[in-house]
This record gives sequence, C-alpha cells and structure tokens, in this order.
Amino acid sequence: MLEPKFLDDNRTEIRSKDCAGYLAYRRGQRTLSLFSSSGPSNWNKVVSDAEKIVGYPTSFMSLRCLLSDELSNVAMHIRKLVGTQHPLLNTARGFVYDSKNNLQMRGLVVLLLSKAAGPSHGASNILAQDMVSGIYPSQRNLAEITELIHTAFLVHRGIVDLKEWTVSDGPLKDMQFGNKMAVLSGDFLLANACTGLAKLNNTKVVELISSAIGDLVQGIYYENSSNIEENSLADVVDVAVWEEHAFLTHGALLAKSSQAALALAKHDMESQRLAYKYGKHLSLGHKLNSDLQPFVKSSMGEQLSFSLTAAPVIFHRQIVGQEKWHQQLQQAKTLRNQLDYSKLLATVKSEKGVSSAMDFCCYHSNKALEAIQAFPSSEARSALENIASAITKF
Amino acid sequence: MAGPWWLQFRHWSAACLSTNLFESVPHFHGRSVLFNAASLGRALGGSSPGEERQQSPLPTQTNQKPLFTSPVIRHKSQLPCPTLQLSSCRRAHSDAKRKDPFTLAQKDLTSLYDDIKKELFVSKKELKFICDYYFDGKGKAIRPMIVVLMARALNIHSNKAGELLPGQRAIAMISEMIHTASLVHDDVIDGSDKRRGKRTINEVWGERKAILAGDFILSAASMALARIGSNTVVKLLSQVIEDLVRGEFMQLGSKENENERFKHYLEKTFKKTASLIANSCKAVSILVNSDPEVHEIAYQYGKNVGIAFQLVDDVLDFTSGGNQLGKPAAADLKLGLATGPVLFACQQFPELHAMIMRRFSSDGDVDRAWQYVLQSDGVQQTSYLARHYCQEAIRQISMLRPSPERDALIRLTEMVLTRNK
Repeated sequence: MLEPKFLDDNRTEIRSKDCAGYLAYRRGQRTLSLFSSSGPSNWNKVVSDAEKIVGYPTSFMSLRCLLSDELSNVAMHIRKLVGTQHPLLNTARGFVYDSKNNLQMRGLVVLLLSKAAGPSHGASNILAQDMVSGIYPSQRNLAEITELIHTAFLVHRGIVDLKEWTVSDGPLKDMQFGNKMAVLSGDFLLANACTGLAKLNNTKVVELISSAIGDLVQGIYYENSSNIEENSLADVVDVAVWEEHAFLTHGALLAKSSQAALALAKHDMESQRLAYKYGKHLSLGHKLNSDLQPFVKSSMGEQLSFSLTAAPVIFHRQIVGQEKWHQQLQQAKTLRNQLDYSKLLATVKSEKGVSSAMDFCCYHSNKALEAIQAFPSSEARSALENIASAITKF
Repeated sequence: MAGPWWLQFRHWSAACLSTNLFESVPHFHGRSVLFNAASLGRALGGSSPGEERQQSPLPTQTNQKPLFTSPVIRHKSQLPCPTLQLSSCRRAHSDAKRKDPFTLAQKDLTSLYDDIKKELFVSKKELKFICDYYFDGKGKAIRPMIVVLMARALNIHSNKAGELLPGQRAIAMISEMIHTASLVHDDVIDGSDKRRGKRTINEVWGERKAILAGDFILSAASMALARIGSNTVVKLLSQVIEDLVRGEFMQLGSKENENERFKHYLEKTFKKTASLIANSCKAVSILVNSDPEVHEIAYQYGKNVGIAFQLVDDVLDFTSGGNQLGKPAAADLKLGLATGPVLFACQQFPELHAMIMRRFSSDGDVDRAWQYVLQSDGVQQTSYLARHYCQEAIRQISMLRPSPERDALIRLTEMVLTRNK
C-alpha cells in the first residue's frame, strides 16, 4: 500500500527473516557480556549528549500546541481528576517530569538521523542555508509531529471503559469527564499533527506517517485485548506474534518517521530504507529492554508486577511449551486465586526466557547499528550508535 | 430590549455571511419574521404543475451579478415581507424538471461504502468490524452526495465533461470517513448510546475501542487523502480535522455575553459541520479548475449549506418527535448545549440566561428550557436564519454554468430546510 518496494518486505521480515536471523545469530554468539549493569544513568547521558548535537534542548512537542487555549483549558479541567484513578492524570504528570520513559526520544532520533544523512544530491533545490545544525526545518517539524502523534496515543490509551468502572476509581461523573478530556486532547494533538503534516508539502510523507498512525492504533488495540489475562492465555503467543505487536505499538511510528525524515531531504530509497531499519530495530530493542526490567533489576520491597506478554515470559512460554506453562501459572497462584508474581518471576528466571530475551535485544541493537554504517561517520552517527548500544545495558 | 440586540445580531450575521446579503444592515424586529420551516418548504418545494413560470432568472455565466439579492436589503427598516421572499425564491426553485439530488448522485455513490471498507485495511477482525460498523449503507451520505454533485457541476462549468476525476471521487469518500470518525468520537464525548437507531460503538464495545476505531478511520482517510497527490487538497482537509476538534472544544464553554454567545455558536457550527462540506467542495474544485473565484464559489456554497444544515438540525432537536432523528429529543439541552432556538428564546425569556450559564444542569432545567423555547419563536427564528444561509448558498452556486448537478444542488438547499429527520 505504501512504498510497497520494501515496506511490505519489512513486514514479512518481522515474522520470518528476523526470527530466523536471530536464531542464527544466537547460535553464533551467546555471550551476555554486553549486559553489564550500567544503570539508566548511562541511557540518560547518551540521550542528553545526543540532544546537544541536534542543536536544540529537547522540547519537540510543539509549544504552539501546548500553549493553545484548548490544552490550557484541559489542564485546568484535569485538576478535577485529582483523587480519581483516571489515567489521564498520570499521562499529564508525565508531560512535566518523565525522564524514565524518554517521552521525546522519537523526535531526537528523527533529528539525529536527519543530521547523520546530511544534505542529499537530490536536495540541491532546497535552500541549504535554511538548515540549522545540519537539519532542515521540515525535518524538525517532522520530529515535532512524531512526538505529537506519540503523545496523542499516550492520552488515548488512557481512556477508560465506563462499564468497568468501580467505586474505587472515583465518582463515575469524574471518570466520564476524564474520558471527555482525554478524547478531546488526544484528538487535538492528532489534528495538529495532521495540519503539521500537510504543511510539509510532501504527500508521500503524509501517507507514510498516516499509515504509522494506523499501525499504532492496531498495536494499541491488540495491547487492550492482551491485557486480559484469560484472553492472552487462550491466544497462541509466540515470539513472532510478540514482535509483530511490538512493531505496531512501538516500532512503526519511529521507523516510518525516520524514513520520512530522509524522504523530506530527498535522499534515495536505499538511504530511506536504512533509516527505517534503524528506527524499527532500535524501537524493538528498546521495548525488549523495558520488558526485561522487572527480570534484571532487584526490586526489593517494591510491588512486583509484569505483563504476561512481556518478552521474557513469551520466550519462556515458547521454551517450556503451553502445557507446562499453564501448570506453572497454576502453581504461582495463591489461595485467593491471585498471581504471586515473585514466584512466577523465579520460575521464568529458572529457564532461558530471560537470557533469550537479552540475546534478542542484542540482536536488534546490532541490526540498528548495522543499518547506519552506510551513513558517513559523524558525531550524529556516533550518537545514534551510542543510543543503539545503550538499549542493551541494564 | 430586543431592538438593539437584533441590530447587533445583524451585524455579525453580515460578517459571518461575508457577502452582500446583509450588507446594509436592516433594522427590523426579528420576532415578526416568522417562518415555519415546514410550511416554507412546502411553499418552495411545491412547484405545482401548470404554474406560470418566468424565464429562468439564473445567471448562466461565472461572476455574473447574483440575482438573489434578498428583499431584506431593499426594504430598510421594513419588515421583510414573506410574499416577497417567497416569490423571489419560487423563481429560483420552481423548475419541475430539476432532478432529485439523491437520484442524480446515485450513480457516483453506488460503490461508496464498499470503497470505504476497502480503505479500512485491518487484520484484526474485531477492529475491522467496528470500523465498518457505521458504513452499513444506512446513512444519508449527504456529504458525499454534495461533493459528487459539486464535482460534476464544476467539471461542466470548467468544460471538462465526462466522468468524475478519481481524486474527486476519493474526496467524496474521505468526507464521509472524516465525518464518521468524528461521530464515533462525539458519541464517546457525549456518552450517547444510540445513533441512527443503532447502539453506538462505545455502548457495545466500550469507550477505549471506540476511540481507537475513530482514530483508525481517520488515519485511513488521511492515507487516502495523501494518495490523491495534491498538497493543497491535503491542507484543506487537514484543516477540517482541526476545525472539528476546535469546534468540539468550543462546545465546552458558555459565553456570558449574549452577542458573543451567538457568534460563538455560529463559529462552532461552522467548525463542527460546515468546514467539512465547504473544504470538500473546494477540494473537488481545485482538482479540476485553476480559477480561485470558482474555488470560492464551491467553498461558499458548502459553507452556507453546511451552516443551514446544522441550524435545521438544532431546530429538529426541538421539533422532531424523538425517534425520527435516531436519538432522543432535547438531546442538546441534556448535553448542556444552548443551540440556536435557545439563544433566540433567551431574548424573550431572560430566565433562560442563568440556565444557559449553568448548562441546564439543575433539576428541571431541561424541561423548563424546553417549554420556554417552544413558547418563544426561537425555532422559527432559527429556521429563518437557516433559510438565509440557503439563499446565500443558492446565490453562490448560481454563478456556475447551468447543469443538472448545479440545479440539484439548488434543490438540495430546499431539502435541507424541509427535512424532518
């Protein structure tokens, strides 16, 4: 449907080539030495170093948008939600301080790739003097749009099904109101992304990013249904399916924005393909890293919880087989039929699920590194390399 | 009391219509201008056979001076006389051979819903089902109809006979997709459980899935839009998406000042309803013609019909007996929204002011407001305003070269006014 030349290939690649390639890769190197325990501070340093290279302190989220009447209105109303369990409250808090989730990593990667690829021969008619820190204004706008879309879906993800409302959520009226605000502000961000896209004057890019929005919706929709434990138990879940979800939910937007950034500078299809690959593998590696967190960090005293569709669990399930997994799940249940997560964690850790997920993370990191080798050596490329390496650190 | 207010009302009306329709601001007592939409419709639509007909006064060339200068303008400080209005309109409307817009547009719309479903390319079955849910062929598809009629009228006007351009066909489809996506979200925002006699998506599948389905439809529309390949067209329709959201935001607040309130109401109406029609009409124009004046005619027609359409919708919320609209009566009041009829009624019954400000949230507000509106001439005033917008739409579209499609668009304005569902 879009850029069928290689995007469709890429889709199939997820299911077959990647897994096959990964298996071959695993046979080759089994070392886990990359997973030294240099904590998240490393990641933050990598990101803040990279931010300096692209010339702006990061705030890709359009100020115009954040300062609009509409969103300040929402901000005012959100106060009413304090004391309720509406997810919009947390999402809004995240705008203010959220270094952990690197809210704006996507924008940063788009800018770094733009800079690493440099001006192209095809772009001679674009005024080079418009470039700031080696990045075209349209590419900066695209980085901003990418963040707008990502944030819009953070907000829309937090919409609550009112039929599942319970008293502990807070008054039903407030939850309804929270939903209303979440729908409107998410829509507002998306609408701004749409008008921003239109101003890029490149219908190919509009199509590509619109398709990424569609991917994101499908991924999140999947995420919804797999949240329900019983559902996910019935599903045939394997690593290929996990990867397909992860790509839709976490990879498609960055992959397609990375490609679009190069398309805006009129780089050839091959360069665009490499940018797409970098974005895709980086996102998948990053997702693996965050899925692995509960399994690698010692969470003393904290309430331990993880998704049963997290990558290490999926690997584990595939290794032990459905039948044994169901037994293990039963064994990890308490008398009141609640899951004892620390017990389940120990079970998963006793097999190769965690190390397989780590291997898979390395595989994606390497794939991302490989993709940018064709770009000329530069500090932007180094920053991209550092980011790709950092996702294998825990 | 009503006098000065009306004067001001006229003022912004002039600004809003941005035409010479109200150029010279007449001072008249609004309340005396009673038009009942239904009877008006009958009068206009009833082109009884054998009736004496004048030669068609419609201009046949572009940019020819419009004929439909409203009598309101000529009779300063005088009540606009209903007979004058009617006679002027009868001339415009009385062509019995004029084809029914629905019939005329049919050939271009037969595959509309199938085409839309093809655009909604999803692997997950349930999501696919939800996305297709409202594209069941039971909607009126009034936007695609206007778009294809406009496209054909413009093609003939531009000497490009023959089929619709593929891009024009796509815009008809996209207009319905954008509209539907916004309905799906609106239903969540308003907590509606019924639409077109069907349970809403949020009612059946929950709010989260409804929002995602709406987002998906929008992304599919946006992809189809990009594939047309015109940056200008992409910009127009993206603006629509922004207008829709801003319009929804505008509904959140109530203005204290009455004049501002009315302006706010019409601006909201433009953004929520008319912008989509206006910009879609302009988009099909851009694809076939390079003359900005032609684009403007298409835009103005769409804008005026769109506003009239919504004004009538707001009237029907008071006059239609519940189920006809596929939603309960007084739905707007229950949502806390003060639409045209209420704003007009507030002139006669200042008690409404406080209720508007608290968005009809106190016990009995909805019933009391309903009574006030029915006792006032708010409904008639709103219908009358709708009629003015339709006249302006006719004036605009009449600047195009005659064609069955152009005439169907004129006919459509009557149908907008007389519809009862």
